[in-house]
Amino acid sequence: MPLLSFLDREKSVAQPGFSRWLVPPAALAIHLSIGQAYAFSVFKIPLTQLLGVGKPLPQDWKQTQIAWIFSLAIVILGLSAATFGKWLEAAGPRKAMFASAVCFAAGFYISCLGVLSHQLWLLYLGYGVVGGTGLGLGYISPVSTLIKWFPDRPGLATGMAIMGFGGGAMIGSPLAIKLMAYFRTPTDLGVGKTFLVMGTLYFVFMMFGVFTVRVPREGWKPEGWTPPANQSAMITTRNVEVNAAFATPQFWLLWVVLCTNVTAGIGIIEQASPMIQELFKGRIGPIAAGGFVGLLSLFNMGGRFFWSSVSDYIGRKPTYFIFFALGALLYFFLPQTGANHLNNVKLFVAIAAVLLSMYGGGFATIPAYLRDMFGTHHVSAIHGRLLTAWSTAGVLGPVLVNYMREYQLQHGADKASAYQGVLHVMAGLLVAGFIANLLVRPVTEKHWLAERNV
Amino acid sequence: MSENSSKSSPALILFAWLLVGLPLGWGVYNTLLSSMKLFQTPAAAAIRPASPTK
Repeated sequence: MPLLSFLDREKSVAQPGFSRWLVPPAALAIHLSIGQAYAFSVFKIPLTQLLGVGKPLPQDWKQTQIAWIFSLAIVILGLSAATFGKWLEAAGPRKAMFASAVCFAAGFYISCLGVLSHQLWLLYLGYGVVGGTGLGLGYISPVSTLIKWFPDRPGLATGMAIMGFGGGAMIGSPLAIKLMAYFRTPTDLGVGKTFLVMGTLYFVFMMFGVFTVRVPREGWKPEGWTPPANQSAMITTRNVEVNAAFATPQFWLLWVVLCTNVTAGIGIIEQASPMIQELFKGRIGPIAAGGFVGLLSLFNMGGRFFWSSVSDYIGRKPTYFIFFALGALLYFFLPQTGANHLNNVKLFVAIAAVLLSMYGGGFATIPAYLRDMFGTHHVSAIHGRLLTAWSTAGVLGPVLVNYMREYQLQHGADKASAYQGVLHVMAGLLVAGFIANLLVRPVTEKHWLAERNV
Repeated sequence: MSENSSKSSPALILFAWLLVGLPLGWGVYNTLLSSMKLFQTPAAAAIRPASPTK
């Protein structure tokens, strides 16, 4: 379509003089928007009170029905990233970002219709399926472009974008609360109008990313930078095609690395508020626990930038060794800080904050690890397929935590002690991740893409 | 000469970073306000509203 031809990859090739420092803000515009998904919980209560306007009626939706909207969005995120990754590499980041913006905004608009007509399936379709597709496309769209613009600092570059996904909830949550308060009337909670406005705001914001992003010209490299002569064997100079990468043990080892790191992180995120209240009963109430959750989200975001930048200096494999070794120790030790043992709130908060920083760091460092293993040619597509590990962890983590805790409570453990078993299992998961990381070796020559095909 | 010797206007680069930095800063500020409740005494925290934005 000629009208949309500006989205073509060849139209987004940077002209001489274009600064690469314009690309991270373009990527952040996408990630800060789609990161709103992590703030979806602010709609949980209002969506269960739409008909009763402030108090639930029997015909209102139940919390368990609402919870599926977010779960569906995260599962579709992984599936769409895995499915459309290869298309993205051919179509270029601008077209993918545009498609992401259209899907993400359309998800809000369809959900608005669902709220106005009180049809739950429209929210599943809208925010869950259509919006989830936008999440997946948006998440991976800037990755390979950033890595190509920053061959000297790939961890820093992708960390900046993925930090945006962590920060998106911090914008999306207060924005939604303020909008719902603004649109609320005695007969309407304002959720539908909030969806409409948020869809439009995010679409416009994402268009800034669409129009700003550029891909580097063939053969471009940063001024004064030459690839190091004695590069680590863990950083390839070759490329691996996405389907070939999918068949390598390295891909599946990194899949385990991501899955275990995310599952363990969810172990804290899922239970953060009740955990601190039950471990320090009488000292920490619900309001202070809310503050603890906020603090964790700051460390989750900051860790994405910090650890991915550190990985540029110490290497990807050592960075994950830190996550898994230190993480396992800290998870094992965390229950000892509770009121039954050391009774030290500050120590508990400090350990949880470090753990959450490493959870975020795991997300942000994985694109650069993939680039080191498989080259830049199909890195977004490979990253897309690896994100199925996130979808898996998103289901596995909460199930593991909730069922294990329930089991322990049924067998006579008190609420505070029940966390011990859960956190020790998380430590065990990180040991499994440590072993997977240990087994990662450079990809063998038979998987390399011939230079003429790059 | 490599193109990142920067012909893009510094004002444009600053504008781009402000466009994404300001909303992010607003979000971080709100979250920081919320997390401060962890460090308040239980009596002081109890009379504060739950929402970080209010």
